[in-house]
Amino acid sequence: MEMDIQILVKLAAYIGGGMAIGFGAIGAALGEGYAASQADMAISENPEKSSDIVRNMLIGQAVAESAAIFALVVAILLLFIAPQDPTIVTAAALLAAGVSMGLGALGSGLGSGFPAGETCTAMVKVQDPKVLSRMTTVMLISQAVCQTPAILAMVIALMLMFVGFGGPDPVKAVALLSAGLCMGFGAIGSGAGSGLPGGAACQGIGRQPEAQGLLTTNMLIGAAVCQTPAIFAMVIALILMFVNLGDVPFNPYWAAFMGAGLSTGLAAIGSGYGGGMAAGASCEGIARNPKTVGVVTTTMLVGQAVAQSPVIFGLLISFILLFKGYGEAFALAPGMALLAAGICMGFGAIGPGIGSGIAATSAVSWVARNEENAGLLMRMMLVAQAVTQSTAIYSMVIALVLLFVI
Amino acid sequence: MNEIGGIYQLIVRIGEYSFHFNLTAIAMTWIVIALLLFFGYMASRRRHVLPNSMQVVGELLVAQFYGLTESTLGKERAKSYAPLIVALFMFLLLSNWIGAIPHMTEPTTDLNTPLSLGLMGFVLAHYAGIRAKGFKGYIKTYFEPIVFMLPMNLIGELAKVISISFRLFGNMMGGAIIILVVSHLIYSLVLPPFLYLFFSLFIGTIQAFVFTMLTVVYIAVQVD
Amino acid sequence: MAIEGVDLIHAASYIGAGIAMGLGAIGPGVGEGMVGAKACEAIGRNPSEAALLTRTMLVGQAVSESTGIYSLVVALLLLFVV
Repeated sequence: MEMDIQILVKLAAYIGGGMAIGFGAIGAALGEGYAASQADMAISENPEKSSDIVRNMLIGQAVAESAAIFALVVAILLLFIAPQDPTIVTAAALLAAGVSMGLGALGSGLGSGFPAGETCTAMVKVQDPKVLSRMTTVMLISQAVCQTPAILAMVIALMLMFVGFGGPDPVKAVALLSAGLCMGFGAIGSGAGSGLPGGAACQGIGRQPEAQGLLTTNMLIGAAVCQTPAIFAMVIALILMFVNLGDVPFNPYWAAFMGAGLSTGLAAIGSGYGGGMAAGASCEGIARNPKTVGVVTTTMLVGQAVAQSPVIFGLLISFILLFKGYGEAFALAPGMALLAAGICMGFGAIGPGIGSGIAATSAVSWVARNEENAGLLMRMMLVAQAVTQSTAIYSMVIALVLLFVI
Repeated sequence: MNEIGGIYQLIVRIGEYSFHFNLTAIAMTWIVIALLLFFGYMASRRRHVLPNSMQVVGELLVAQFYGLTESTLGKERAKSYAPLIVALFMFLLLSNWIGAIPHMTEPTTDLNTPLSLGLMGFVLAHYAGIRAKGFKGYIKTYFEPIVFMLPMNLIGELAKVISISFRLFGNMMGGAIIILVVSHLIYSLVLPPFLYLFFSLFIGTIQAFVFTMLTVVYIAVQVD
Repeated sequence: MAIEGVDLIHAASYIGAGIAMGLGAIGPGVGEGMVGAKACEAIGRNPSEAALLTRTMLVGQAVSESTGIYSLVVALLLLFVV
């Protein structure tokens, strides 16, 4: 039996390492490919600027790769880690670390490709070398902001690898696995979304170099707000890892923990990406008409706040799943109901989150064009977003029924 | 974490049925109503061409929402519905804001408050629809575009009540629980006040507006 | 833990309800968002028609929401009838 557990831990570490770099490489590769394709198009438009564009592309790609490098570091650590006391909990923690880092690097890698690509496109028409270097600076800042979700995922992964979680408790093992999934999924939307304002800001500076300050500020605010869902996912992951509910029965608690992680993790995808879309539109709008910065930023913030309703619903269901308290179950059905509640809320929040973002995008960009009707547009946006979220609310209702009625 | 589950309930048993009253929510609702009555009294006590500060706030709210109702429902109908819409918004706004005061909870975190307000809007919208189109015309809308859509239309109408009330409830309850859990996790002086600012004041304002606006729009859809 | 027939059916119906509503909510969510986006654009172009546009948007969203309502109905049927 001693031998079996050691093999299991090794197995989990290897699979986790593979998942970390396997998933983690997807996003960065796509992002860098996007940057390269935009650079190629830009060079074909204006071959004289090819040296500037290629230099910028290489810098941008190097930063876009950092998410994949985090994943590589975690993967290598997982290959060589030798835990002190191998138990089923350690095995789950190592697997979860890989999942968290792998999925978590997906969004940031993809997202930080957008600023690099858009900067290359915008460089075609810019003559002033000062403006060119400023564009590269803003691109680097926005790419750095994009990495935050991947860094959060890496923090969770490192904690999972190096913190001892106590004895061989199968419930704890499921909770750790769920924490990894929650953080991994939760970082995807925010990572990809926070690249959109960066891209729009870089393109905007190419068009309106004097609006650089406004655009950078707006980009930073927008990206920070669209990372809230990733932070919510991290809160749930930390609760799953460190809050000790005492001696709880395996069934149905395994399902409650798994459902709690999936609910917030999946729900964060839609809200994160939707918030990023709104922020991108606002940077674009400010570049078009810098005088409207106040009302555009307000509309963006309201739009992002409403687009975060789905992830707040996800959090609500997660907290209820975590803290409701259950008696021991001797059948499969009670556990399945809890797991289904988490899955239902998690998936159900993805579409409405993205949809609210789409509605906000259009409203924000039209506020910049038609400032007099900003109030009307904001009202319209709120109604549109509220109705868009009704399917997320139906999911919440089904989840609540699964939790309280069944 | 005990605060999440602990609700001060009054349980009244009549025969084999038992009625559960959430005393916190009821008390908070009455506090909100009392505050609003006081505000109304102060705002309209000495009406003057040069208004005092309370009157300015009151006039601003009434004018804004009157205009909003008018642009959605038309001049004639706004006269009968605008007072209710303004009152609904003020009640929801204060209900959502009151949670920012220590030891107070939002009445909207109890599902019964949003649900009853949502039902009120539902009944009102359908009453307005029957009055505007006549009973026959009102029934006819359920058979559009084809006769077989009747069950879907019925469920769609009921789903509106669910979505409008659960939207408010989910947002306010989610905010309240996040604040509670975060304060337990970090014991920080900085973050919870900021979270209160965000969830109670900002999200609370937006959701109060969304609820009010949707009630107006649902009336408008029924009327046409 | 012995898994018996009835228990298995209940477990499957719960998980089925969760998946039905969860996945069924994605499409309408994105679709209604697109309707809302176009409506905002239309108001930006022609603010005087705001009332008409709002109503049209709501009707359009209600129709695109119908698949979400089908999911809701199926989920409720799975939960309470099966």
